[in-house]
Amino acid sequence: MKLKTLLVALGLPLLSFAGGQEIYSENCEKCHGFSRQGSLGLPLYRSTIANHSDRYLTKTIRYGRPGRIMPAFNLSAAQTAKLIRFLRAGIKAPQYDPTPIVGDADAGKYTYEQYCQRCHGAQLQGGEGTGKNFSWQKDREVSPPALANQGFLHAAEDQMIKRIIMKGIKDTEMMSFEKEFNFTDKMANDLVAYIRSHEKPIEQHLKSTTSEEPLVFVYESANDLGVTVDKLRDSAAAYNFRVYPSRTLFEGLGGIAGDDEKQVVIRFCNFKNMQKFLKLDPRLGVILPCRVTAVEDKSGQVKVYLENYMHAVERFNNEQISIDAKELINNMKEMVEEAVW
Amino acid sequence: MVVRALALCILMVTTSVFANHGELLIERVNAKFSYTWLALDKTIKAHKYKAAYLQRCDFALNERHYKSDKYRILFFGKYDEMKRMTDKYPELAPFIPLKITVMEEGAHSLIIATPPITLLPLVKTDEDRMTIFRWNEDMKSILDQVRSQYQ
Repeated sequence: MKLKTLLVALGLPLLSFAGGQEIYSENCEKCHGFSRQGSLGLPLYRSTIANHSDRYLTKTIRYGRPGRIMPAFNLSAAQTAKLIRFLRAGIKAPQYDPTPIVGDADAGKYTYEQYCQRCHGAQLQGGEGTGKNFSWQKDREVSPPALANQGFLHAAEDQMIKRIIMKGIKDTEMMSFEKEFNFTDKMANDLVAYIRSHEKPIEQHLKSTTSEEPLVFVYESANDLGVTVDKLRDSAAAYNFRVYPSRTLFEGLGGIAGDDEKQVVIRFCNFKNMQKFLKLDPRLGVILPCRVTAVEDKSGQVKVYLENYMHAVERFNNEQISIDAKELINNMKEMVEEAVW
Repeated sequence: MVVRALALCILMVTTSVFANHGELLIERVNAKFSYTWLALDKTIKAHKYKAAYLQRCDFALNERHYKSDKYRILFFGKYDEMKRMTDKYPELAPFIPLKITVMEEGAHSLIIATPPITLLPLVKTDEDRMTIFRWNEDMKSILDQVRSQYQ
């Protein structure tokens, strides 16, 4: 009887009785805000949602935006439908003809460079940083979307892209190019063909690139603990890090044991890099401050442990920060290698 | 006893199947930074962890055109079990103590953490996996309770 009750209790959370608002609160409001005003993610204004078909929203939820923070969500079809109904708030879903638009991609490229590149980037990579964040001032209120993002291209219908180009999106910086720049039907078709030419199979973009790498880099030091710590501090300073006072691993946790002083944490930070990365992704704090831990084992051997930050960085789903962080992490590895030599 | 062990095993399996290990744990709190910070401190203690120290990351953020200068990281843990785990698996040292980042965003705060379950590949026995799993559940519970205090 007990077992049966237990299994029912464990199974209950797997069934979804939640309404759209609950699903939004559970999955979306962390990034899109309590009132859908945007934050780490883009604003989900009704006027924006009004441009999107159910198919587009369903695929966006399912595949996310690889490399652009929005993760893929594993919601059931029923949950997805409820969430979309909640986001629409009574606005009728547009229907788009799924037939691909035929256009001249080369001509579209020229139009793109003239009119779109300034906001969406030369490589269609979108604006810098996250959707709409209140934590720093930016030259734009909302980071322009990445049109070459495979999640976007996989979700968007050609006709939807064309409509947004021609009509713009109310309450956003995306203007009507038909009204403002007298775009013709052909110009829009060519532009859509150029944007669509960046599409690739989405599966390629959902694979982890760091899953084979170790979680931690381990180095054996040729020196005793005191010398190793001093050399790590000197090496960090030489690599332009500001070095904080060292701490023992359990300092502040209340325990007192004889060998605690044999586990020393060396903490350091390059403020310029930190602020650059904070602009790209304010969640950076989960890997701050940079640190290495020097541990002397019972035989007197000193080892240095450096977290492979690429695993943490990958969790941001932020391509910009992944590219920039690689160099920093390589610097940290060199820094430790020099110190343990 | 058997039922309890079975329950924990089923929870571990369901968590590993349904949770997305690759994602950060994030909660949005409907309160300014100072309230969130206090709630976090209290909730960590209520979960029988000890706050070890805080790391400020907000030096001169205002002067550098950030809208908020409230950005801190709280490190916390339990001495005995973290000592036992790092003695057995020194590779865990870079991830100890556990930490939660708190940042202000307008009238709200965001609390963010890396899920401890990502450390599972570093341990080898079921007992130690259970410890990591419990850290993960505690972390999620702490974030959720802080959020729910200001709903």
